[in-house]
Amino acid sequence: MTLVATGLNKQFGPTRAASNVSITLRTGTVHAIVGENGAGKSTTLRMLGGVLRPDSGEMTLDGAPYAPNSALDATHKGVALVHQEITINRSLSIAENIFIGDLRLHAWPLLGVLKRKKMAALAQAALDRIGVKISVAANIERLNLGELKCIEIARAISSNPKTLLLDESTAYLDHREVDAVLHVMHQLKSQGITIGFVSHHLSEVLAAADDLTILKDGQFVASSSVANIEANEIHRLMVGRDVLQGTYPTRSPLPSSAAAPALRADKVAVGRELNEISLEVRRGEILGLAGLKGAGAEALFAGIVGDEPLRHGRLQLEGKDYHPSSPRAAWQHGIAHLPGDRGNEGLIVSFSVLDNLVMARPPTVGPFFSMARARAMSNDLIKLIGIRTSSVVADCRSLSGGNMQKVVLGKCLAVGPELLLLNNPTRGVDVGAREEIYRIMRQKATEGLAILLSSEDMPELIGMSDRLMVLRQGVMVREFDSLDNVEEHDIVQYMT
Amino acid sequence: MNKAITTKPRASAAPAREDDSKLQWIDLLRRGFPLIFLVTLIVVFTIMSPRFLSLSNLSSVLDEGTVLLVTALGMTFIIMAGSIDISVGAIVAVSALVAALTVNTLGVLAIIPAVAVGAVCGCVNGLLLAVGKVPSFIATLGTMVVYRGLVLYFTRGAPVSIDDDAFLNTYSGISFGIPNSVMIGLALAAIAWAVINFTVFGREVRAIGGGERVSILTGISVTRVKILMYVLLGGLCGVAGLLQGARTMAATSQLGLGLELDAIAAVVVGGTPLTGGLGSIVGTLLGVLIITLLSSGMNMAGVDPYLQNIIKGVVLIAAVFINIDRKKIGIIK
Repeated sequence: MTLVATGLNKQFGPTRAASNVSITLRTGTVHAIVGENGAGKSTTLRMLGGVLRPDSGEMTLDGAPYAPNSALDATHKGVALVHQEITINRSLSIAENIFIGDLRLHAWPLLGVLKRKKMAALAQAALDRIGVKISVAANIERLNLGELKCIEIARAISSNPKTLLLDESTAYLDHREVDAVLHVMHQLKSQGITIGFVSHHLSEVLAAADDLTILKDGQFVASSSVANIEANEIHRLMVGRDVLQGTYPTRSPLPSSAAAPALRADKVAVGRELNEISLEVRRGEILGLAGLKGAGAEALFAGIVGDEPLRHGRLQLEGKDYHPSSPRAAWQHGIAHLPGDRGNEGLIVSFSVLDNLVMARPPTVGPFFSMARARAMSNDLIKLIGIRTSSVVADCRSLSGGNMQKVVLGKCLAVGPELLLLNNPTRGVDVGAREEIYRIMRQKATEGLAILLSSEDMPELIGMSDRLMVLRQGVMVREFDSLDNVEEHDIVQYMT
Repeated sequence: MNKAITTKPRASAAPAREDDSKLQWIDLLRRGFPLIFLVTLIVVFTIMSPRFLSLSNLSSVLDEGTVLLVTALGMTFIIMAGSIDISVGAIVAVSALVAALTVNTLGVLAIIPAVAVGAVCGCVNGLLLAVGKVPSFIATLGTMVVYRGLVLYFTRGAPVSIDDDAFLNTYSGISFGIPNSVMIGLALAAIAWAVINFTVFGREVRAIGGGERVSILTGISVTRVKILMYVLLGGLCGVAGLLQGARTMAATSQLGLGLELDAIAAVVVGGTPLTGGLGSIVGTLLGVLIITLLSSGMNMAGVDPYLQNIIKGVVLIAAVFINIDRKKIGIIK
């Protein structure tokens, strides 16, 4: 069936998540929705799938008006949505997971005991239909993420939809797993099912989609058949480089010194994600790390701060061997770390601004904590970074996302670090606060701080880094020694 | 706490809300609640039994409450860090036994082995949690049984009497009209208050309760702090065991039975949530007074002994129901 949406709008508070988005999913084709983070891809897909109701705009299914008021309603009308997150419950069987939405239909009336054999047969049929080789009798603990995703697709397919919507279905999957999901999409397309999917990965879009729609900052940019558009063109339309000009402070010339680098990593491997990387960061330099989630930057940080053991390799600080044993040891060696997950790893939101700012190195007088010095320290940091708070003892939860992040940055700078690890420092931060964070980063670098910057935000990496490394699947695949004439797609092409 | 120095924000920080003043009022009421509740209890019991407010009665109530106070002081640290310890009653029994066994040779100095053994018991708890990663509830449930089992094993269920005069005079005597035990308890409370509010260790305990992962990544040695706080609680239980032994002039296997529940209740009624991140020694002090006064007040007021437990339970739930700041502690488990 053909699903047509015209002029969809959706607003969350002051944010326009989608404005004037039009999209046509043609019968029996695969339609990709692409764009950067926050472009409105998921919002659009969720409106199509009945999870969100558009503020305005119209949708039709095969010409008839279509205005689902819930995901269940959409399913009844033949449109099923597979969510971004994996929602498999590993303590249930595969069949139970597939029919989790209507288990009652598969149980004996009154008693509520499940008809396991019949359910297993139906589940197996659903799995066979999408063309995956998974037995319902398999141990669910042994399945990989791609296989779990396929079970979710089987769950969506079990309601016999005519249109299937997949949200970022391949975001956390490795290449083999991605291939399995693409194979399923192909299989369903051949059965005449219309598919709409959201993706970050251009290569997979080009491989799987017939049509594509490009969104940027919630705005509809273009819609085209995949055959008629070049990869470079898609990149350019997704990004539109000119928007953030002037946001980034000008680079200061690097001091040319023969001194040992602030950090030297020699063939370092950490956990499952980082296979091997060698790098050097000098004082005064911002080294950018580009890569998809799971490409290795996060694992590298965990290794440097001693949160995860190094599998092999060697680290040196200022030319001296450094064995990361615990985050405590890392801070004592002058390494400050701003984690990517602000709520769970960076900040205790129920604590005051002061409590958080001085947490890494509380000032003391003799054996006692010095409130007076903590206050003076906090006030200095608040002034330096421009944290907007009513007082030093205000709860952090009363701050905006950007100011919370400035507090975490302040906590890092409070110890006077030699090396600063920043993991997505401006995630969920508004433009104004971003500029201040960039300003302080550059200022500290000029004063001699070495910074490792890992980010999913390409313009930020290009604008802030002095040098940049691209990671893919745990290894460094490309290094840029200067970013003066580098465009976003120059980098992205190495990431996937 | 002195008022904060307000920094000049560059833009107005948060839009002024009309109900701000009302919220502050409720907040103040909530923080003052343990005190209000305590005063209400005293008024009610005084009306029911005028003798309640007499100096001799109050002094004996405080004397009774000291063992609970000393235990609850240590428990405040544990709960503030988001953990729990239900082996405290058993540690009190072990320490009392050690004091009773050593008092004839050491006299007053029997406090040293008593506190040391308490600290070792606490250290075992701390190691199980911080190094063995056994959840504190289960770990201390196990050690509770072991510690009390040790007392039973060594005493064969028979009480060990304490009759060293110097010891009894020091730990259960009265100086200047105030029981010595009460002075010891209040001195320890003052120290605990200072430790929580004015040391890095106190801040680290609180930070672990507020966000353990954040604390680890910020370089707090969470393992060390956790073990230390259990050692601290164990040592305090050692003092509590000593005082209890001196009061009853014997160490028995039944000593401190059920103390863990009273200690947890006192801490929570005093405004320290079980979810951690917050905590106050003053609150715990008030909580201990509430629990102690409730028991003795009902006795004096002639409340049917068979009704007393029911009332006690209901009052505790009511106190926490009103006291708890649901916004601040988020998920209630």
